[in-house]
Amino acid sequence: MKNGLVLFLGVFLALALSWAGLLLTAHRQLGGLAQFKDPVEETLNPFPMSGLADQGRLVYQDLGCVTCHTQQVRREGYGSDLVRKWGQRGSYARDYIRDQTVFLGSSRIGPDLRNAGSTELHSYADTDYFYKLLYAPQAVAPGTNMPAYTFLFDVHPTAGRQASDHALRLTGKHAPAAGLEVVPTARARALVAYLQSLKDTYDYPIEKSRNAPAATEHAREGGH
Amino acid sequence: MTSSAHNDRTEQMEIDASAKWPVLVFFGSALVWLLFGGVLELIAAIQLHTPAFLSECEWFTHGRLAPAAQNALVYGWGMNAAFAFGLWLMARLSATTLRHGGWLFVAAKFWNIGVTLGVLGILGGYSTSFELLEMPRFVTFILLAAYALIGAWAVTTFSIRNTENVFASQWYLFGAAFWFPWLYAIAQVMLFRAPVRGVLQPVVAAWYVHGLYGLWFIPVALAAAYYFLPKILGKPIANYYLAPLAFWWLAGATAFAGGSRLLGAPVPVWIPTLGVVANFLLVVPVVIIALNLFGTLSGSYRTLSGSVTLRFILLSMAGFILASVFNLALSLRGITEIVQFTLVTGLRDWLIFYACFSTAMFGAAYFILPRLTEKEWRSPALVKAHLGATVLGVALLTVGLAFGGWQQGHLLNNADLPFGEITRAMTFWFAWRSVTLGLLLVGHLAFLLNFFWIACPLNSQDTARAEFQNPPDLDLPKAPAAEGHA
Repeated sequence: MKNGLVLFLGVFLALALSWAGLLLTAHRQLGGLAQFKDPVEETLNPFPMSGLADQGRLVYQDLGCVTCHTQQVRREGYGSDLVRKWGQRGSYARDYIRDQTVFLGSSRIGPDLRNAGSTELHSYADTDYFYKLLYAPQAVAPGTNMPAYTFLFDVHPTAGRQASDHALRLTGKHAPAAGLEVVPTARARALVAYLQSLKDTYDYPIEKSRNAPAATEHAREGGH
Repeated sequence: MTSSAHNDRTEQMEIDASAKWPVLVFFGSALVWLLFGGVLELIAAIQLHTPAFLSECEWFTHGRLAPAAQNALVYGWGMNAAFAFGLWLMARLSATTLRHGGWLFVAAKFWNIGVTLGVLGILGGYSTSFELLEMPRFVTFILLAAYALIGAWAVTTFSIRNTENVFASQWYLFGAAFWFPWLYAIAQVMLFRAPVRGVLQPVVAAWYVHGLYGLWFIPVALAAAYYFLPKILGKPIANYYLAPLAFWWLAGATAFAGGSRLLGAPVPVWIPTLGVVANFLLVVPVVIIALNLFGTLSGSYRTLSGSVTLRFILLSMAGFILASVFNLALSLRGITEIVQFTLVTGLRDWLIFYACFSTAMFGAAYFILPRLTEKEWRSPALVKAHLGATVLGVALLTVGLAFGGWQQGHLLNNADLPFGEITRAMTFWFAWRSVTLGLLLVGHLAFLLNFFWIACPLNSQDTARAEFQNPPDLDLPKAPAAEGHA
């Protein structure tokens, strides 16, 4: 190879082809994915995030939660995500169109959070649970290596003022000293609202039929 | 020594003199980032088994520290080192001096300001949460502008070359010089300027990350291997006629391989499948490159003991092969089902970035810096410590992350096991990782000390007359010898 121009054109083509072939093609296929209107219930799915939850998304982004948590449930038969109750079904591309930033993640040092807010899957996961998890992870998840986000909470003296409605009910060694209360800041409230908004409850008929296992063994066996 | 060889030597010294300060500045900043990023990385690693460590301070919470460390290492150490090495090699192989080097100081300044602001931005909470694109958006312009100067210098140096032929290392450097800014700019536009929706974001991010490792760091490492092996051993690359095929094939297939990172993700299944096919196609160029490099080395293994550079390059070649094997293994659905989202996923990228690329840069530095400064390395003991720590660290970390990740994957897939149990079981491997990262850091410290000694202008007594062992002259027919190593 002696010709610089040939080298340049080859170098350009190598990347341009992959850009067009991978990114543009994917964009053509998925870029127009829209909410689905349930014909019976007349609801739009996925339902948009609340304003507070969307602020919480920014807190999630800023604290780098994506470093240790994925937000993708693998389909049935691929890993044991469903058995671990990380979702009622595998995630679909359509689930993510409500997320302004998609935190798919690539590491599960902590559990998957795609359905962290689903009380059907985790009956214990109420607001209080998430506050405790953030303030003192060991209090609700013993053995975890999740860091405590104490900086998302204010510790007030209770003397001479009315106790906060939002104060955390902590017991044992995680409880603050006498005369103090732990109150979530606005960021903590937003983050918890975001976490509670994480649930893919609606099962889209199109995706469901596409992702259903093909009529294989059972059908064939039954066919005799 | 024939007179033409003598002329070559004078010419090389002229080129080295022109490249001296740009290379020293880029390499010096690279080393500072290597140390700084290494410390951040170590703290982040410690936090995984001792979660309370520095967690009180918001700036050092694990979710910020880990990406900050990765960005400091990749953009601080990796890119600066690649600039230093790439500019020098481009000048050498194009047989032309590096002109107007003053502009490169400006570029270096801006690049490092950009990376500093970016890392601080991540620590301060302005992360974008996309792997290796976490730096706040305003940093992009600083980095791209600085890069434009550096890239333009490399390409201009190439286009005013005084050589007939273009050598393999030049293709890789030339390609990388264009691929990085295109990848970076496109990813920035598609993720932040005019963001794509939904799961297209992770597709773009995967394409960028895979491209950065496969079309920037690997080409630069290969440029080093293709240059130093024939240079030090004094013989041409074996089966060189296959090298162009490997280059084009590697570039074409790597560009499409990014989707393989999304196996099992909620994206249309053709995206990961295309990536898997591309990864399988990559077997061919990897085999050719192995034939080229190991073929050149075969029969000369005893030379290894005489050259630190060669030993680092050999390590880099081993890292390249190992990274390719891991890349292939992570394309197999059966294996991915287990090791996806575990330590093994990180190991693949680490092998490319550290075992393959960083070791090649160490090797290059041991060759280049004495020639630029006309001094010898002050402390052979520190060189040995660096080499030893690197070899041991790479081996231990590879074993640790591979076994640990395998175990982690099995535990994650065993749904009966509560999550806390997995964390408890993994504590051993997290601690293992901290220890090996600490070991690597010791090696880097040794390297930095030696670098200061050699780079400090005041410190020139009794090393000024250092003599280099010139590589033996190539006693070859004219045509293949002209194949390019100036």
